[in-house]
Amino acid sequence: MTANQTTAANQTSTETATPETTRGDGAGDEAIRFEDVTKRFGPTVAVEDLNLRVRRGEFFSLLGPSGCGKTTTLRMVAGFEQPSAGSVYLDGEHVEDVPPYRRNVNTVFQSYALFEHLDVEGNVAFGLKRRKVPDDEIRSRVAEAIELVQLTGREHSKPRQLSGGQMQRVALARALVNRPSVLLLDEPLGSLDLKLRKQMQVELKEIQREVGITFLYVTHDQEEALAMSDRIAVMDEGVVQQIGPPEEIYETPRKTFVAGFIGVSNLLPATVEGDGVRLSTGQLSRAALPEGSQQGASVHCSVRPEKIFLDDLIEDGMVSVEGTIVERIYLGTTTQVIIELAPGVRVISLEQNTDRSRADDRWEIGQRVRLGWHPEHALVLR
Amino acid sequence: MGEGAEFDVGPSANRGDLVSTEGWAERVPLARRRPRRRRGRDFDRPVFLRVFFIVFMFFTFAPIVIVALFSFNSTPSLQNFTGFSTQWYDEFFSNVGLRESLVASIEIALVTMVVATVLGTTLAFGLVRARSRLAQSSNVLMLIPLVTPEIVAGTSALLLFAQIGIDLSLLTIMIAHITFSISFVTVIVRARLSALNREVEEAALDLGATRMQTLRLIVLPALWPAIIASALLIFALSFDDFVISFFTTGESPTPLPVQIYSSIRFGVTPTINAIGTSMLVISFLILAVAVALPRLLGRREEENVLIGRETA
Repeated sequence: MTANQTTAANQTSTETATPETTRGDGAGDEAIRFEDVTKRFGPTVAVEDLNLRVRRGEFFSLLGPSGCGKTTTLRMVAGFEQPSAGSVYLDGEHVEDVPPYRRNVNTVFQSYALFEHLDVEGNVAFGLKRRKVPDDEIRSRVAEAIELVQLTGREHSKPRQLSGGQMQRVALARALVNRPSVLLLDEPLGSLDLKLRKQMQVELKEIQREVGITFLYVTHDQEEALAMSDRIAVMDEGVVQQIGPPEEIYETPRKTFVAGFIGVSNLLPATVEGDGVRLSTGQLSRAALPEGSQQGASVHCSVRPEKIFLDDLIEDGMVSVEGTIVERIYLGTTTQVIIELAPGVRVISLEQNTDRSRADDRWEIGQRVRLGWHPEHALVLR
Repeated sequence: MGEGAEFDVGPSANRGDLVSTEGWAERVPLARRRPRRRRGRDFDRPVFLRVFFIVFMFFTFAPIVIVALFSFNSTPSLQNFTGFSTQWYDEFFSNVGLRESLVASIEIALVTMVVATVLGTTLAFGLVRARSRLAQSSNVLMLIPLVTPEIVAGTSALLLFAQIGIDLSLLTIMIAHITFSISFVTVIVRARLSALNREVEEAALDLGATRMQTLRLIVLPALWPAIIASALLIFALSFDDFVISFFTTGESPTPLPVQIYSSIRFGVTPTINAIGTSMLVISFLILAVAVALPRLLGRREEENVLIGRETA
């Protein structure tokens, strides 16, 4: 079972990697390349057969649940871990024996890892001083970096005098001031509260656009990855499941795991029949079948909640089924309606609360309801 | 909740003098107590703590003050202070045996302090950073010197030196002192070291610092307070150690505590007060140096950590 999954996953990851590596030809526009990289810790495999290419200036995210190998991948770029097999290239250069302090990358750590005994200025200047940059250049670049992260006036504060958001900015300035070829970010917003996190997401994206440095961003927060990235690699159990721009990852997930991990997904068990699928509840639905689907094969049919319409909103040409409302959750901008099609088979529908009156008393629990979706929104996943 | 429903406060306790009965003050419902709340008499500042503090300070410092005072007494009396004189100090410093002992004790304490601090700190690094099974058991092994009764440590050291044929001298005392001191240093430094975030060291490497630079610029500054504190402790422990010194000392010079012990057998003279006061002054000087050192080097942070003050 797991062996099958892994081989299938390997196929897709090499599929996605092959055209890129041939197209890329030379190191001109690539910042990071992983070639068949495997990393083991004793008997456990943290990263398996990873092939990945990050373009220069790209905001690239590694997304996955904890323990999926995303941080290990990042640490191999930083030089804190060495691959057990395969090669890592930075700016087209093989970096196997290059220690962290000689790599042209800098890291923003999850814990910020600020130097407690140095003030903001001392922290930011640390990297430049190690590189023997002339004093007046250090001064101007440090001031510039501190301004970039909006901490002007706090130059002489010690880390413990700063708030979480401010420490985060210091960590960012400390890394960016060295103008690395790649900036590595390991869940940098993980310990901030929700509001600050949203604000920092926008700021980070703006800063990245401004400085034009390649960002390799590790997160388990799918919303964060969707909001900020140019491309996302979704990882699970050390294996890349899918690589693509956010829209592609969200709209056309190629695996059950990706569909389930990114956003909320309704995964309905089904079997392939004709040019569509027959749901386990009996309805026949037209759907885009993946190539090579065999008749009668058991699959999952995935429909995003915002693409499921109820009752009067159902249009001609939609696939339509009937169910019972089991829960109604008011979420402000949307109302989430949970509908049971058959015992154990539930789907979620998200309704926009564009009309105030609808949210309150449109639905009652236990009510029978018709639901429908456009056949092109039904994805068949193996 | 009804008025006094749970416990009978009694008519006299109503409103007026709730605070006067300390025991009750805590149990009376909050709403009724609040109007008569006074500073310094809050439930979290009970009077007995003040009494406790005063008694504690008395028993800690009164003997010291008495010793210091009588070291300047003009008569040999240990009961009546008759007048000021420095004769006991003269006697102490003109006594060649005592003077040599004082120098020997300082010598032992300084050597023990430096060697044990260096060895103990490196051991702490090894124990925290090595993840082998050997390191795990070493952690327990290291605690043994801390719980070994000194009398056992002293006699066994003596037996060992006799067995392998080392003549007793200042060197043997130093070896014995260093041996039991290492554990203290390791315990103190290890606590600080394991609280250090590994990511901070990685950050230094990531920013272009080599391993040696990371140690010098990042790790050691964070460890200084612990290292200084344990060095201080070791100096104090070694300086006034009697039991182990007694068993491992050679003929002459003997460390001051041993010398005092042998002289006291022939009767107590006020010179003891002068010696005691001198030892106290030396200990305070060491403490003052330890607190002043970070300030002199412009490292206020460490000074604050050392004396446990929060930085604003």
